[in-house]
Amino acid sequence: MLTSSRQNFIKTINHQQPDKIVVDFGSTAVTGIHVLVVEKLREYYGLEKKPVKVIEPYQMLGEIDSELIREMDIDVIGLFSAKNMFGVPNGNWKLHKTLWGQEVLLPGNFNYTYNSNGDILMYPEGDTSQPPSGMMPKTGYFFDALNRQEPIDESKLKVEDNLEEFSLITGNDLDYWKNQISLLRENSKAVVASLGGTALGDIALVPAINLKNPKGIRGVEEWYISTLIREDFIKELYDRQTDIAIENLKLIYNVIGNKIDVVFICGTDFGTQNSTFCSPETFDRVWMPYYKKVNDWIHQNTNWKTFKHSCGAVEPLMTHFIESGFDIINPVQINASGMDPRLLKKKYGDKITFWGGGVDTQSVFAFGNPAQVKEQVKSQCEILNKNGGFVFNTVHNIQANVPFENIISMLEALKEV
Amino acid sequence: MKEILQKLSYCVEAGKINKTSPYPPGMKDQDGADELTKKALENGIKPNEILENALIPAMAIVGDKFSRNEIYVPQMLMSAKAMHGAMVHIKPYFLSGETKRKGTFIIGTVSGDLHDIGKNLVSMMVEGGGWEVIDLGVDVGEDKFIQALEKNPEAVIGLSALLTTTMENMRKTVFAINQKHPGSKILVGGAPVTQEYCEKIGADFYSPDPQGAVNYLKNLTS
Repeated sequence: MLTSSRQNFIKTINHQQPDKIVVDFGSTAVTGIHVLVVEKLREYYGLEKKPVKVIEPYQMLGEIDSELIREMDIDVIGLFSAKNMFGVPNGNWKLHKTLWGQEVLLPGNFNYTYNSNGDILMYPEGDTSQPPSGMMPKTGYFFDALNRQEPIDESKLKVEDNLEEFSLITGNDLDYWKNQISLLRENSKAVVASLGGTALGDIALVPAINLKNPKGIRGVEEWYISTLIREDFIKELYDRQTDIAIENLKLIYNVIGNKIDVVFICGTDFGTQNSTFCSPETFDRVWMPYYKKVNDWIHQNTNWKTFKHSCGAVEPLMTHFIESGFDIINPVQINASGMDPRLLKKKYGDKITFWGGGVDTQSVFAFGNPAQVKEQVKSQCEILNKNGGFVFNTVHNIQANVPFENIISMLEALKEV
Repeated sequence: MKEILQKLSYCVEAGKINKTSPYPPGMKDQDGADELTKKALENGIKPNEILENALIPAMAIVGDKFSRNEIYVPQMLMSAKAMHGAMVHIKPYFLSGETKRKGTFIIGTVSGDLHDIGKNLVSMMVEGGGWEVIDLGVDVGEDKFIQALEKNPEAVIGLSALLTTTMENMRKTVFAINQKHPGSKILVGGAPVTQEYCEKIGADFYSPDPQGAVNYLKNLTS
């Protein structure tokens, strides 16, 4: 009898050799596929031609539906929050023509405008009476946050200002998660849930593009500086935020139980291309106690595994992620300094699962040829999948500019390993 | 006199902006780069001496430490803020012509790309190296770079891109500048950019870190 996706997933997460490499495309907002590529994949597999739903509009990630899951032999499916990053409910879909001329589906309340330059401006909760919180440049493929940092008066700075988006969830939220679980018609796939509320200082979330009038520390540079000069503020924020998060996790667990396998905890990037954003000592002091609190609660009370995303050269922090209680690290940026997959596998491969690292999106995937892609995918799988502890994904989302023949080459290579 | 420049240099290195700045905690209530520069000028120290003997060496130490991963982005941002605190007092002398800049550097993030942390770090380091910096911001089209270059024909250009999707716009910008103004010097950088890509698109210099750009510019003028 064939082993199911979920059975293979359980093997690999427990560092046992799976019968087949576990594959993820689209289960989270950092392992997804740009909507332009999703359309091409549908065409390639001969699926019905239809506008693709943009399930995560900030990065313009397309829906990987059950048809693509089947065709691409995907083993993991994702559950997402009811609202997207702009605070707009994902539903009541409407047609939108993108800046690159593609017809896609956007959430009904995703109300945007164009500025005089032809860029798209997007608004918190789709409320165009408010100042915009995000912009997609005319020649861009996704949104970025606009800086809405107000001048900071140190004497008036309050932790509560940065806690606005973290609150106890409502009965409606619980009904939503209950419904999401009930929609999982088949249980042969592993399930990753992005429940929200557990990210500590994720620079994509700090600007709070979903809030109409964000207060506190909201600018990217101001935030990075704050981790240095306002350490006590940051620690208090994390402390209170994790208390709220655990209360919410308790409520959600009561509703969904162990019907999910993985919970996405945090997307805070600790690495640049060549270094880390802080020293290991700072990580241990400012982040680890709070990560540990959340991970410990999950491990003591559920069967869920915990997922940490961090781009960049984070090898010096790998033992610290493990000590913080994370089971999974993503996206394994193999071209960043010190991120040699052989070294990572040897040093940490029995302690943490590498979710990603399958092909280097910054070089070979975007700029190489299909033969180079195939060779790298096979080599990465051979290194990282040994004794399990590996889920195949590209390094971060598949971007709009990746040559389609390279994507096909990657998928072919996956069939051959 | 020398002591005050040493203190100023240390303030920039440590990120001590002014007296009221709470960072670094060990320098609480002490003068920062702001006050020390003002005092140095009041004591008759020439602005150029302040630049050459305090600010430029301090920023070079910061840049080198960053290149060696001994300090991180937040520390570097604080040093840049301290340097700005000092520069406020020096700028009038640039405008009057009493103190000369080493050259002009035009910088921007290329079209389609809104990321600016890397670009800002390079901008701050180059300014700390004694250059006038014209920062065109983010999502800068090739026309804007060319217009700025036409106003400042001797300027060196710096292009930043964080995304693989915008690297193509970097290539187009380099091509357009080289077509219109052959002989211009173009520096490129950003997370996905490499030496190989720099050569491929016809740019003149790539550095994985800000100090590399400062050193390249220093060599151009020496």
